[in-house]
Amino acid sequence: MKEPKDPLEFLETSLNVNRRDFLKGSAALAAGSLVGIDATREAKAFAYEPYPRDDELTTVPTSCAHNCGSRHMLVAHKKGDVIVRLSTDDGRYQKDGEFGKDTFEEPQLRACLRGRSYRSRLYSPERLLHPMMRVGKRGEGKFKRVSWDEALTHVAKEMIRIRDTYGPTALVDQSYAGASYGVLHKSDQIEGLLGRFMGMFGCRTNSWSVPSYQGTTFSSRITFGTIEDGNEDDAFAFSKLIIMWGWNPAYTFHGGNTFYYMRMAKQKGCKFVLIDPQYTDSASTYDAWWIPIRPNTDAAMMAGMAHYIFTNNLHDQDFIDTFVQGMDAGTMPDWAQGQENFKDYILGNYDDQPKTPEWAAEICGVSADDIKKLARMYATTKPAALKASWSPGRNAYGEQYNRMAAALQAMTGNIGVLGGCAEGVGKAWHAEAVAYPYDQYANTWFASIKSDRWAHCVLNYPNVKREEIGLWPRTDELDGVIPNIKGIFWQGSDWFNQLTNINKEIAAINKLELVVCMDSTITPSGLYADVLLPIATHFERHDVALPWYKGHYYIHRPKVIEPMGESKTDFQVFTELAWRIGGEKFGRTYNPKAGRDYFDNPDPVDEAYLVDWWHKVQSHQGVEMSWEEFKNTGSYKFKLDRPHVAFQDIVESRMQNGQWQTSSGKIEIFSTQLAQTKDFTRTAWGYPIPAIPKWIEPWEWLGEKEKIKKHPFHMISPHPRWRTHSIFHNIPWLRETYDQELTMNASDARKLGLKTGDTVEVFNDRGKCIVPLYVTERCMPGVVVLHEGAWLDLDQEGDDLSGNPDVLTLDEPSPAGAFAYNTVLCDVRKSDKAHRPGWDQLATARSHVFRRDL
Amino acid sequence: MAAKDKEKIKNAVQKRKREHYVPVKPINQLGFVHNNVDCIGCRACEIACKDKNGLGPGPRFRRVQYIEGGTYPEVYAYKVNMSCNHCAQPACLPTCPTGAIFKRKDNGVVDIDSTLCIGCRRCEAACPFGAPQFDPVDNIVKKCNMCIDELEAGRKPYCVMACMMRVLDIGTIDRIADGTLVTKAVGPNEEVTRQVKGMSNPDLTNPSIRFVAHSKGKVE
Repeated sequence: MKEPKDPLEFLETSLNVNRRDFLKGSAALAAGSLVGIDATREAKAFAYEPYPRDDELTTVPTSCAHNCGSRHMLVAHKKGDVIVRLSTDDGRYQKDGEFGKDTFEEPQLRACLRGRSYRSRLYSPERLLHPMMRVGKRGEGKFKRVSWDEALTHVAKEMIRIRDTYGPTALVDQSYAGASYGVLHKSDQIEGLLGRFMGMFGCRTNSWSVPSYQGTTFSSRITFGTIEDGNEDDAFAFSKLIIMWGWNPAYTFHGGNTFYYMRMAKQKGCKFVLIDPQYTDSASTYDAWWIPIRPNTDAAMMAGMAHYIFTNNLHDQDFIDTFVQGMDAGTMPDWAQGQENFKDYILGNYDDQPKTPEWAAEICGVSADDIKKLARMYATTKPAALKASWSPGRNAYGEQYNRMAAALQAMTGNIGVLGGCAEGVGKAWHAEAVAYPYDQYANTWFASIKSDRWAHCVLNYPNVKREEIGLWPRTDELDGVIPNIKGIFWQGSDWFNQLTNINKEIAAINKLELVVCMDSTITPSGLYADVLLPIATHFERHDVALPWYKGHYYIHRPKVIEPMGESKTDFQVFTELAWRIGGEKFGRTYNPKAGRDYFDNPDPVDEAYLVDWWHKVQSHQGVEMSWEEFKNTGSYKFKLDRPHVAFQDIVESRMQNGQWQTSSGKIEIFSTQLAQTKDFTRTAWGYPIPAIPKWIEPWEWLGEKEKIKKHPFHMISPHPRWRTHSIFHNIPWLRETYDQELTMNASDARKLGLKTGDTVEVFNDRGKCIVPLYVTERCMPGVVVLHEGAWLDLDQEGDDLSGNPDVLTLDEPSPAGAFAYNTVLCDVRKSDKAHRPGWDQLATARSHVFRRDL
Repeated sequence: MAAKDKEKIKNAVQKRKREHYVPVKPINQLGFVHNNVDCIGCRACEIACKDKNGLGPGPRFRRVQYIEGGTYPEVYAYKVNMSCNHCAQPACLPTCPTGAIFKRKDNGVVDIDSTLCIGCRRCEAACPFGAPQFDPVDNIVKKCNMCIDELEAGRKPYCVMACMMRVLDIGTIDRIADGTLVTKAVGPNEEVTRQVKGMSNPDLTNPSIRFVAHSKGKVE
C-alpha cells in the first residue's frame, strides 16, 4: 500500500486544482489570519470529538463475504481490536496501487450499501456470542447458554444415535452460501465444509437443487455443457444493445462492476431494453425501453421472437449450421431424424400452432408489434447481449425460459463475440477456489433430493415416490431409497426462512430429532434449532475472498479482529466434532493439517492451508507476487489480455466438432441427454422435460382464468438490494433506507381502495403476511412485488408480520429443479394487523434468546 | 426594563447580526456534482456516510431522493442525491446563536463545532435543503462536513469514494459549473445545472452543487 507523500499535492491532483491557484490560496489563507480573521472563532477541525482520523487508525483491507452477486473490498479502520469504521477500495490496495487509481482494466471494487453496513452486523445485538441450547418449544425462541463442551457433546451423541438408528440418510445437509466465497472457510450446498464432514461421518442427505438458479444451471449445462457461459463484466461495455430480461443489475449485482461497465456502454450509444413486470432502477439508469410482461410467460414471448426471426430470415444460418444441434431439421443428428426440432416447433409444424408474435401476445401481455420490434432489434443489432437473468427461471418450467433464451442467442450468432452474451448462469473467469481439504469425501452423500422437498419428504415418509422429491439416482443399493430424515444442519444458511412454503416446513420440523444451526447471528431458522453454535464472521478468521461469478481478483481477508464472544469458525467446529466422534483418525482425515488444539489455536493451520493455495495460484495462474506481498498489498487484480467472453475461442476458430462440452460437441438446442432419457422417474428431475425448449403453461399464472377468480394477483419475490437474501435484515441503517413493502400498480390500488402506506395482508391458501403497501405506476397491473428475505415473525394466528413472501410460495419445484418462487397467485386486502419491520422492535423476544438463564 | 422590552432588544440584536452577516468568501469553494440519471440509487454513499460519522438510524447527512412519475406504462424515474451543499451564502450560519456553525476560508466547507452546538435546531429550520440533521442521542445538530479530515489528508469524502457508479464527485464549484473539472460523474455531451425540479430555489443560498438533470427533472 502506497501512502501519498504530500497530501496537498494529492488533493490538488484529485480535485484537479491548478497548483498555482492552490498555493496562492494557501498563502492568502496564511496572510488572512494576520489581517483579522478571528482565530478564536475558527471552530475545531471536527464536528465530533474525539474523532479519530483514518490515518490515526490501523488500516486493514478485507472484503465482504456474502452470496449477493459480487465481491467488493472493505477496508477496516480499527483502534485496538475494535473496528471504528469501514471504507472501500480506493485504488491503493493492489500492485502499483495509488489513491484514486480506477482504470478500465483494474476498476476499484467499491462495496455496496450492505458491505458498508457490515460494522452494524458485526456488532449487532443479534450476534450469537455463546453456544445455546433450546429450552422451550421449537420456534419459541427460548434458549439457555451452555459451554462448547456441552453443546458439542450433545450434537456428537445425537448424530451417532440418529445415524445408527435411522441409517445414512437421516441427516439433511442444508448448508448454503451465507458464508461462501472464501477459499478456506466455505459454506456450500454441494462441496462445503459441512458436506465433507457429514459425508465422512457416514450420514448425509444432500440438497441438490440451487434455490437461486437451478432452472438456469440446467439450461446452461444442457445447452453448452457448462455453467461457465459468462463474460467478465467489462465485456458489457462493448455491446450495442443490451436486453435485460428480468435482470436488475442495480439491485442484484451480477459482477462487481457490471452496472458501471454498462454505464460506459450507454455513453458509447448502446441501447437498452428491459423485459420485466417492474420499471426498475436499472431501466431508469440506462434509459431502457420497458416492456412489461406477465410473470412466467417469458418463454412464450421468446418463442414469438424466434418465430419472427425465422420467418423474416433474420437468423444467422451459418452460425447455426456450424455450431448448433437441433435448431432446425438440417442440424438434427442422424440418430434423431424424425424427432422434434426447434424451428419446426416454432413454426407449428407439430401441433398446428405457429408460435407467432400474435400467439405470444395473448399469453404474455406484450403486444405483437413490440415483440416483432424487439425481435428485429435483437437480430439486426451486432453485437447484442441478451442477458437472460435467473429470476424468470425461478418459475414453474423456468428452465424452458432459459433454454429458449439460449436458442435466441444462438440463432442470432451472439455467442462467443465481444459485446454478445450467452448467459445463462454467467460464470466467467475461473478462480482457484479451493484451499480447504479436498478429496474423495468432498461431496459424499447417501441420498440427494430437490432442496425444497425436505418438508414434503418428512411429512409423507415413507409414502413418498422418488420423483416427488427428485431423488438423485445411485448405482448401489441406496438407489431409490427414500431418506428417513430426522435431523437438519444449517451452516451459513437460513433456509428455513428462505425455502418455499414455510408453513409446511413448520409442520415438518417438529418431527425432527436434531436441528443444529451454525451462524454468527440469531436467524429465523435459528429459532427453530435445538443447538445454536456461534460462528466467527469473516472479519474474525483468516481467509481469501473470491470474486463471485464475475471479476478476476483475489482479496486477502486477514483476521481483522479476534472472534467475538466464544465464536469459533465452522472449520474449527467440524474438526472438533470429528475428533470427538471418531478420535484422531476422523479428526486428522477431516483436517489433515490440524491437531486437536485447532479448536483453540487455528491460526497457524489456516495460514498453512492458505499458503498451499497461494502456491497453486502462482503455478496455475502465473502469479509472481509472493504470499507475503499479497498479504501486505491486500488484493491481487489480474490483467487479462482481452475482456473474457465465454466460448470466444471456439467461435473464432470456427471449429465444427468436439468443441462445446456437450455430448455432441455442439450447442444443444436439441438435447441429446433429454432425448435419450427413457424413464424420467429414474432421473433426479422426476418428470419429463422436452428435448427442445418449449412454452409450457405454469400451474399458477394470470392466464389461469379459474384460479385468478379467487387469487387475482401474481406475486413475484425478487432479491432486494438492502439485504443479501435474509442477511442484513436486522440492520437498522439498511431498513431505514428501504421498507419491506408490497409494490402494486396504481390502477389496481384504486380498484381496491388502497393507497401507499396502508397496511395490507397478502394471502393465498398457503399463508398470509402483513406488509405496508407501495402504490406506483412502475409496476404492471395484476402483478404485486414483495422482496424475499424478511425475517419470519409469526403472530399467534400464524400470520407472518414481517412480510416474508415464502409463506405464500409453493414447495413444488419445476421438473429440472427450479424453485417456483415466482409462480404464486394471491390476493391482497387491507389489514387490521400491524406490520413489524424487524426484531429490534421486539426487545422481549430478543431477551429470550440472549438473556434467559435457566 | 420590562421583560417584553428585553425580548424586543434581543430580537433586534439578532436581526442586526443577521443583516450584517457577511459570508466568508472561500479561496477555493468546493462543491458536489451528481448525475441524476446514471445514479442507480443504491445508497452506498448514505451508508458510508453514516458509518464514517458514527450515526445511528435517524439522522441522514446524505439523502438519495427517489423521484418517479408518469402513467403506466410511460413512466420515468431518477435520483437526486444531496447532503450539505456548503452554500456560498449559507442560511444556517447566521441563525446559529452560539457561533457553532462556521464556513471555512480555504475550501468553503460549512461545518458545525459540536462543542458549541446547543441543539436548538434553528439551522435545521433555516436550511432550504434539509441538510442539518438533529441527532436525538447526542442532542445536537450534525451535518456533512465534506469529510474535512479526508480532504486534509488529500483524499475525497467517503460518499464520493463509495459511489459504485462514479456519478458523485467533488471539485472546485466553478470548474464543475463551467465543465472544466475532469470527472466521471459527468458523461460526454452532458451538461450540469444549478437546479432540478422539486429542489428549492438556488438563489436563496447559492448552493455549491450541480446536477446532470433527467429530461423530466429539468427546470426552465
